[in-house]
Parts: sequence; C-alpha cells; structure tokens
Amino acid sequence: MAANYWASTQRRHWQFSRETLSEIRQQLEDEERALVQQYPLPDRRLLSIFFNQQLGKLGKKMNVRQQALATAQVYIRRFYSKVEIRRTNPYLVLATALYLACKMEECPQHIRMVVSEARQQWPADFIISDVSKLGECEFYLISEMNSQLIIHHPYRTLHEFQGTLSMAQDDISLAWSIINDHYLTDLPLLVPPHVVAVTAMFLALTLKPTQTGLQAVASTAVSLNSVSPMSKELPGTTPGPPNTQQKKVQHLVSWLAEGEIDIKAVVECSQEIISLYDIWEQYNEKTCKEQIVRFVKARGLDK
Amino acid sequence: MVQRDLALLEKHGVTSLDDLPPEVQAVREGHVAQSDAFAYGLLPADSQDARKLPPNNGYTSKVRVLDRYKVIGFISSGTYGRVYKAVGVNEQSGEFAIKKFKPDKEGEMIQYTGISQSACREMALCSELSHPNMIHLVEIILEDKCIFMVFEYAEHDLLQIIQHHIQPTRHPIPASAIKSILFQLLSGLLYLHTNWVLHRDLKPANIMVTSKGEVRIGDLGLARLFYKPLHNLFSGDKVVVTIWYRAPELLLGSRHYTPAIDLWAVGCIFAELLSLRPIFKGEEAKMDSKKTVPFQKNQMQKIVEILGMPTKAKWPGLVHQPEFTQLQSISSAVREASQGNTGLESWYWNTLKSTGYPDSPPSANPGAQGLDLLAKLLEYDPAKRLTAEQALQHPYFTANGDRVTANCFEGMTTQYPHRRVSAEDNDIRTSSLPGTKRGGLPDDSLTGRPTKRMKE
Ligand SMILES: Nc1ncnc2c1ncn2[C@@H]1O[C@H](COP(=O)(O)OP(=O)(O)OP(=O)(O)O)[C@@H](O)[C@H]1O
Ligand SMILES: [Mg+2]
Repeated sequence: MAANYWASTQRRHWQFSRETLSEIRQQLEDEERALVQQYPLPDRRLLSIFFNQQLGKLGKKMNVRQQALATAQVYIRRFYSKVEIRRTNPYLVLATALYLACKMEECPQHIRMVVSEARQQWPADFIISDVSKLGECEFYLISEMNSQLIIHHPYRTLHEFQGTLSMAQDDISLAWSIINDHYLTDLPLLVPPHVVAVTAMFLALTLKPTQTGLQAVASTAVSLNSVSPMSKELPGTTPGPPNTQQKKVQHLVSWLAEGEIDIKAVVECSQEIISLYDIWEQYNEKTCKEQIVRFVKARGLDK
Repeated sequence: MVQRDLALLEKHGVTSLDDLPPEVQAVREGHVAQSDAFAYGLLPADSQDARKLPPNNGYTSKVRVLDRYKVIGFISSGTYGRVYKAVGVNEQSGEFAIKKFKPDKEGEMIQYTGISQSACREMALCSELSHPNMIHLVEIILEDKCIFMVFEYAEHDLLQIIQHHIQPTRHPIPASAIKSILFQLLSGLLYLHTNWVLHRDLKPANIMVTSKGEVRIGDLGLARLFYKPLHNLFSGDKVVVTIWYRAPELLLGSRHYTPAIDLWAVGCIFAELLSLRPIFKGEEAKMDSKKTVPFQKNQMQKIVEILGMPTKAKWPGLVHQPEFTQLQSISSAVREASQGNTGLESWYWNTLKSTGYPDSPPSANPGAQGLDLLAKLLEYDPAKRLTAEQALQHPYFTANGDRVTANCFEGMTTQYPHRRVSAEDNDIRTSSLPGTKRGGLPDDSLTGRPTKRMKE
C-alpha cells in the first residue's frame, strides 16, 4: 500500500534488523575483499555526511525540496546495501538518485538540467555530459531497488504530531532538522519513520532549547550522551532543561505511553543520532573526497 | 554468425543446446532471419548489435524477459509504449500482458534518455499496491534500455465488452453484471483512495475483466499520491483524465481536485455500461500553439445538456472555479433546453428503454436505485459527490434482496470474444519507432476515442 506504512514495501523489504543489515554488508565486502582493502573509505556516517553535502549543493541550485533530498538519500543507502560502492561512480549515483527522487516527489527536473548542474557542481570530468550515462544509472538504481520507489518519511508524522501535541515552532524546527540528520545514519533502513519522528521530537525537547543548529546540537548531544544513557532520561528527568521544557517532555512521555510506540526503539534511535553528532566532529570533507576520487579515477569509473 | 550464436547462448545462460529457447533455436537453424522477439519489436533492433560486443561495466539486467516469457503477439499500443501478450516459460506459467516502455529515440540509436515521470509513478505504484480489483503486477524487468512491466493477463476490458453489446445489434449488458462490475470497480477504487492514490484516468479501456469475471483496474500511468504537495497536482500534468470522463471541476480549471474526480468517471462508466455509448461525448478543444490549456467548452456543454446548468445554490464553490466566467459562454439554447432539470432522469429511463432492459423481473432492471446512485456520482459539487465508500453502501447494491456476484459473468450465457492479439509480422524496424505513437489500437480508431494526455 502506498500510504500505509505497515503494508508498504518499505516495511516489508527495506526494514532490516541491525544483525541482518550488517550481514548483508559483510557479505558484500567479502565478495570484494581486494577492492575493499585497496581503497579504504571513512566511516559510513562520515561518507553519508559528504554525500548529503554534495546532494544539498546540487539540490540548492535546482531548488529541490528537502523531501526529495531525503528520498534521494534513502535511495543511495538502499543501493549501496546491494552494490559495493567501489564498483560505482558515487557522483553519478548521487546525481541519478536525486533525479529519480525529484520525479517521485513530484518536483521533476529535466535530465539535461541535472547533468549540467552536476557538472558545474563537481569536477566536470566526474559526470560526462552525455545524459545516457545518467539514464543508464537510473536503470541500475531502480533495478537494485526492485522498483520500490515510494518512501515513507518521518516528516509527515512530525507534521501530524505537531497538531496533537501543540509543539512550539522552535521545537518543531529542531525536530525537523534532527529528522534531516537521521538520513546520515542507517536508521532509515532500521526503524519505521514514525519512530524517527518521535525520537526527533523527544530530542528536540530534551536538548537545550537555547541552542539551535547542527553543531550546537552536536555538542549538547555529546555532553548529554556522556552524562547518562538516554534510557534513564525517559521518565522526564533530563539534565538541564528549564521547567517548561521538562513539562513538555513529560507530556510527550505520557503521550508515548498511551500509544503503541515502541519506547525501546525510540531509545535506540536516540542513541544512534547522538552518536552521529559524536562522530561528526571527525568529519573532513577533503579526506572523503580524496578517497572517493582515488578509486573512481584508478578504476576508470567516471568513463 | 558463430560468434553471435555464442553470444546469444551466453545471454540466455544456456549451457546445453537442448535448453535453447525456441527463438534462439530458430536462429541457429537458420529457419528465420530474426527471433520472434525482434519481429514483434519486443527488443530494440540495436540490441542485436550489442550482443556482439563484450559486456562493458554498464547496466545489464540480471533477468531477461525472453528467458521467462514467450511473446505470442501484440495487443495494443498506448501513450507510452506497447502491450504484448506472452506466456510463461521455465518456472513461470500462465498468460501475461507485458507493457513495454521505450525511451525516446535519439538519432538512429535508442538511447537512455531518462524514464518518464509517468512510467516512474506507474512502476512504483504498481509495486506497492495489491488488491483483488487491481491488475496484478508480476514483475518489472529493465533490460536493453526498455522497461517491461509484466502483468497478469486479463482477457477482457470494459470497452471491449461494451462494443460486443452493440454488435450485431444493441443488446443490454445484464443488470446483474453491471452491478457486479460497478461494485468491484468501486472496491478497487476505495482501496486506491484509502491509500491516497488518485487514478485520474478511469475509462472503459483501462478497466480490465478476467475470464473469471473479476474486475481489475489497470493503467496507473496517470495515478499519483495525493498527499504529495497539492500545488503540483495541477501544474505537474497539463491534461488529466480522458475528456469524456473528466469531472466538471477539472473542466472549470479547479486546482484543488480530490478523489471525487475518479467518482465522476465511475458515474460516466456506469452510464456507458447502461447505454452502450459515452454519456458525455464531447469534442476536445486542442491546445493552442502557446500550449495554454483551452476551456473544454464542448465537453462542458454535453454535460449541461443532460444535467442542466450547475448552480451556485447546488454547488457553492462554483463561482470560485477559475473558468467560471467561461461557463456563461455555453449557448443559451443549451441552457434553455436544460431548464427542465429532470435531464438525467429522463436520460436514464429513455436509455433503459432503448437499450432494451425488461421491466420485470426487478433484478433484470437497474431500476430507480440505479438512477439514484448515478445521480449521486454525477453530482456537480465534488464535495457532495459520493465517495467510493459511500457508493458501496448505496441501496442499489442490495435492492431486491440481490447479492452482488464476485464473478460479473455469473449466470450469463454470453461468451465475450477473446482479446484481439495480432501476430502480425512486424518489420523489425518497427521497434525503433517511438513508443509514444498512437493509432496502433484498432478499437480506438474505430470509435474515435479521444487521446487523453500529453507526455510530460
Ligand atoms: N493486464 C492486461 N491484460 C490484457 N490486456 C491488457 C493488460 N494491460 C493492458 N492491456 C491492454 O493494453 C491497453 C493499453 O494498456 P494501458 O492502458 O496500461 O497502456 P497505456 O499506454 O497507458 O495506454 P493508453 O494510452 O491507451 O491508456 C489496454 O487498454 C488493454 O487493452
Ligand atoms: Mg490505458
């Protein structure tokens, strides 16, 4: 079903347990042992940050909506769960995923436009000007995803909750950007979107309200994480937040308790996001780029 | 030649000659110049050359259409491609319809040019949806720059059934069959709408019926999710829904349309099943050179002739429709003729009489409840029009203590002819014609059915 997450292909075919996902990845690596050893890559999350930045730059030039960027990121993650990254030209995969996501999210872009923007954005020799390469890559993406292209995002749940929980605009924006960040982790392949939405709201309320923006959140999250595990905070005894904020958290927690939300999943999800902010400090755009360029050039994948 | 044979063998994953698919055997034995698949245009002409080349690091399909299906013939050519009838080979068995989308042609070679948004939607939605009244997608194969959507085969469609009842003379589709068809159609539509999918192109040709009398909604080429940004619903595609089935709010330029447009189309189809001809058979005003969408005056006029002029009293949103002022241009003659306002009622009873529905037994006649349901589907105000759910609750379906049959052919003696499948010996080059060409469907050209959409 298209709008019903429970019957969706996303839940039936693209939601894995942590164990399964790492087995899938392990198998992929085992099949390409030599390649993997020859071309080391940064932590997957750091690579995802790089991808997301590149996508963001490309998307900005074409005025692409956030939801299409999010869909593109999920496509990329799905694709690379089935294809070894060192066998591909990631720049081409990025541009193609965005091109396809724009069609699926009802903001289509002409293929020529995508190719020419991509060539301006990235060293032009990474994307050849002939659109047929991107067209071919689209076949590859769709085929690996078994034509399962409809993605359920947490944004919709957040939007629905916004009303029921009467959250403040600031909290919503923060939750929104936390949702944006979860695409940098494996969470889209691990948990249902509504769990991510709840987690984002929870984090938005528990993180210091004066601080906004990614880096700010990151540093708070790091300290939060080192103070106490998230699970202890669930009863609403968060360190720091002022009283009103605490009330909001309590409200959220009691609301959670009434519903059928899997609290354990929310806790795990929070931890995942917090550890993302943790590792973010190590991000270095230049390293990511160099490591990608190395295998693309050496293997002639840009041809 | 030897080299090519080897390539062919490899392509088919054949290790023993006995495993050869018949079309390859034929090539080997030199009986025919090309395999059937090429002759039918199932595979592009240039893919033969590709077979001579060593595989590059580009995309190659893991599954090959011809390893799994044997093409029997050609069914139809539509807006985006061609539909073929096939039977399964190897582990697949049964009959299938394969809808093939082709990329645009660039020069002489078929090239990857990006998949149309419409094809993307159709692939994605068909993969997601599953309901007894939706056509069942078996698989999608992306091979040789083409997309092959493999569906269960449906022997009939409503257009074909309607046409059978006007030959050699007009004779009505049994009332019980219509009831079953409508019920199944509405069930499928309810499923679509509860999943936020608008079909947007319901018409007799897109509603399939299996040989067991099960109705299957097909052709999701225009379908889309309606929780996606609404402002795009209109701007995205210029033309939606074949003109004869197009709801009045669309004709009046509404930008906020809803599932109600599909229910208008169901109303039109119900009427057509009763009268065996389209109820509002307007002429489409073509787009002008500036590509602005013209007001479909003639189509609106046809509706007004039967339903009367829409009024603000009955449809409060009427005055806010972008093309409201255009409505005034509908000739006063038409307006006067429609003053009586019993238009649909007299149309209905006259139709039942002229098509030849008997007055008794009551179950053999769609009756007053049929009129009531029809009127509520052909309601001007989209907000008041029945929803699929409400329509399914309508007493029409339970009148006379009837039960709706799951097989719409139950109790019928009529044998509908099998779907026309032409084994025409297509020239191999046919395959390189763009799939967007229309006119390959004989039924369409016979009845002058309008085209519905433009390529995006
Ligand atoms: N599953 C099927 N079984 C049998 N015939 C089918 C099937 N699907 C489609 N057809 C036939 O092929 C025709 C075209 O299919 P479809 O409507 O899906 O394609 P289209 O390109 O959107 O066509 P159009 O532009 O004419 O609407 C149908 O009207 C029907 O006659
Ligand atoms: Mg059709």
